[in-house]
Amino acid sequence: MNKQGFGYTVVFTFVVAFIFVALLAGANAMTVEQVRFNQQIRRQRAILTAMNIPYDTEEQVAEIFDMVEELESNGVTLLQLEFEGDTRYAKEVSGSGVWGTIRAVLGVQGNGERLLGLEILEHNETPGLGGRIDEDWFTRQFREKLIINGSIQFNEQPGEGDFDPDSGRVDRITGATGTSTSMRRIINNSLEELLPVLGGEQ
Amino acid sequence: MSDVATPTVILKDNVWTSNPIFMQVLGICSALAVTNLLVNTWIMTLGVVGVTAMSNLTVSLVKSFMPRKVRMMVQTLIIAFYVIIVDILLRAYLPDISRALGPYVGLIITNCIIMGRAEAFAQSNPPLISIWDGLTSGLGYMGVLLAIALVRELLGFGTLFGYQVMPNGFEPWIIMVLPPSAFFLLGILIWIAKSIMIKQGEPVV
Repeated sequence: MNKQGFGYTVVFTFVVAFIFVALLAGANAMTVEQVRFNQQIRRQRAILTAMNIPYDTEEQVAEIFDMVEELESNGVTLLQLEFEGDTRYAKEVSGSGVWGTIRAVLGVQGNGERLLGLEILEHNETPGLGGRIDEDWFTRQFREKLIINGSIQFNEQPGEGDFDPDSGRVDRITGATGTSTSMRRIINNSLEELLPVLGGEQ
Repeated sequence: MSDVATPTVILKDNVWTSNPIFMQVLGICSALAVTNLLVNTWIMTLGVVGVTAMSNLTVSLVKSFMPRKVRMMVQTLIIAFYVIIVDILLRAYLPDISRALGPYVGLIITNCIIMGRAEAFAQSNPPLISIWDGLTSGLGYMGVLLAIALVRELLGFGTLFGYQVMPNGFEPWIIMVLPPSAFFLLGILIWIAKSIMIKQGEPVV
């Protein structure tokens, strides 16, 4: 057979492409469940962390998450959970960062007085600079933070974290002015949407 | 490149005398992009070693059936296949690393080292020695990237593989976190490597 001929070339290319694509489709089908499970677990954990709810095991996450209700009010989708006698809300928020979209979960108390927490789901910020938004010290600043005049203030000077819940302020990240500004915009825009729904301070 | 392709000669060539990065200056894009943390660099280069070895093997196995006209197309298809497999495995079993590497796993496809080895070696050599050539080329690449990442993580974060090694008062160098630092480090590394080669009397291109 002439291996350089037109017919052979076409058939060869087709067969090779078919085999490899079929193998890929198989590999994808075998792992698709696992990938979906990973994403689901990650989202559930993030939502519980943002609502400031402690958990240990994956079973516990699933158990608590079963009690979370999704509700819509004035076009805002919220997650609601009754926990230890109070109502907690979480909202999935997103906005543009320096290099791409930042997706996060924001937890707010039922009366809209304080944040409960913040957890980053996805970002493409510069590693080591803006990328530090997903580090514990940055997100921990938002725990139980008092919402003053319907927003959270970002300190002008970057710092190591403002952990006083009553200050209503958080520190920027050193060397990441753009990302810090994006975070402020995302959080405060979300609060603007959220607080009227919760009937809290405006 | 030496004339006789014995395993030892190939090893020395690929890791040192014709190192893909500092002698052939291939694969620079990823050398700049993913080297600010050792863990990411380690996983990414491991991916490259695996893909280079496997694509070399596959190209070598199918080379006698391959029409010359579609040679490169098929090589690219084979490389893309293995890279997507790596991506799928990372997403399913190492989701955190997969997130950290982001688009760079997919970009392994465009790493010239892999295509270069498929075309220059696997296309005209038997399967076993082709795997070895792929492995050692990948190792040459891995060595250089890990060396750069070591310096960048140490000075940029004060850590190694995420463990704090610098004293508490250490002020991280922000430049080391950003891609330009890899550019400077790579230049310095090439300088050192070539100086050693000249001292050893190796012919330097």
